[in-house]
Amino acid sequence: MGNVEDDIVNVPEVNEKDNCNNIIIENIVSEKKDQIFDLVMRAGEILLYNGAEIFRVGQTMEIIAKAYGVKSVDVYAVSNGIFCTMNVDGYFFSTQIKEVPFETVHLGRVAAVNNLSREIVMGKYTIDEAMEELERIANIPFAKNRERIFFAGVGSAAFGYLLGGSVYDSLVSFICGLFLYIFIIFAEERKFPKVIKIAIGSAWVTFVAIILFTLGFGDSLDHIIIGAIICLVPGVALTTSIRDIFNGDYLSGTIHLVDTLLVATSISVGVTVMLKLWEVFVS
Amino acid sequence: MFRILIQMIMAFLATLAFAVLFHVPKKEFFYCGITGAIGWFFYLLVRDYINSIILASFVASIVITVVSRFFAVNRKLPVTIFLISGILPLVPGAGIYYTAYYAFAHETTLAVAKGIEAFSIALAIAFGIMLIFFIPQKVFLWGSKWGKK
Repeated sequence: MGNVEDDIVNVPEVNEKDNCNNIIIENIVSEKKDQIFDLVMRAGEILLYNGAEIFRVGQTMEIIAKAYGVKSVDVYAVSNGIFCTMNVDGYFFSTQIKEVPFETVHLGRVAAVNNLSREIVMGKYTIDEAMEELERIANIPFAKNRERIFFAGVGSAAFGYLLGGSVYDSLVSFICGLFLYIFIIFAEERKFPKVIKIAIGSAWVTFVAIILFTLGFGDSLDHIIIGAIICLVPGVALTTSIRDIFNGDYLSGTIHLVDTLLVATSISVGVTVMLKLWEVFVS
Repeated sequence: MFRILIQMIMAFLATLAFAVLFHVPKKEFFYCGITGAIGWFFYLLVRDYINSIILASFVASIVITVVSRFFAVNRKLPVTIFLISGILPLVPGAGIYYTAYYAFAHETTLAVAKGIEAFSIALAIAFGIMLIFFIPQKVFLWGSKWGKK
């Protein structure tokens, strides 16, 4: 800052001094704008990556940018990428494009970013503090593996029951759900591709279900398998995709729809292959 | 009546389990569960009395969206948190699975029937959600601390 003041003092003429002063202020603001832009992009990225709705991504980015005094910001977000342009005082400033893979859903992080944007609007954060807070949010841990495995079992059992299984079926589904998530967590740690993870996972869980059923547990194999694989089925993605299409986000809707089809196909490949194998080799 | 109660408890558990898998903040588990249970109650009601799964999904998704928007405003959180978890019991997961399953088993007729059913349910749910999203935020502020300010 010392340099800036020196410059101003050393300027000889009044007119030029004003001019120069303006440019310097512009520079300082512009420097800040870089940070603001990074902050805005990072917020959008975290939201999209963790499963926020498309319109929320754009809205939050605009809210944060405006809270820091940027007058014009344009966001175009699709399911797997963000395009954002910031205009400063009528001049072109910059554009960023970010590719965001969608694999995880972590609604805790979405909630945290939402909360942060609200507090930024209230003026509680400087840009640096906000950036730090964002990094903290991006690293909010996942639930413990034990918890995830247990609740996958609970979910499988409850869904098995809701979808028409008997109490015995849902108990078997509970066990299958546990086994499924043990595999899913194993696959996640080794970063299996999504399709492979889901295909092998559903084959594995079908195998467990068949074994348990053959041993005499449960009433209907169909209901057990349905309950067991429900954690993998992309029901939410299907509904989201249709919502996106209604919203006019045709591209996002299509991306999710294709994803739904892909995941559904890999599940049924896994299940069918395992059932066929069992038929051929065992019975 | 007893059957409906059991079903609602199961829907509560299912929703809660998925709230955990989606890493919803711990404090909200209970509210997510409640959203799912209320939605499932209306689903059962319509399904049993009018005997249409699609209409039942539509009505239930309306109820769930209203409830989750109410929770969202009152607890100052994005509506997705309650909506995604709450809508899960309705979502045509089994339908999608059966569609793909029959398609692989060369049962084309069944596959198409199941596919269209799953798609209609998804459409109905999406319509229900959209309908409630047209209502302005102010309505849901009514009675909350935030609204009085």
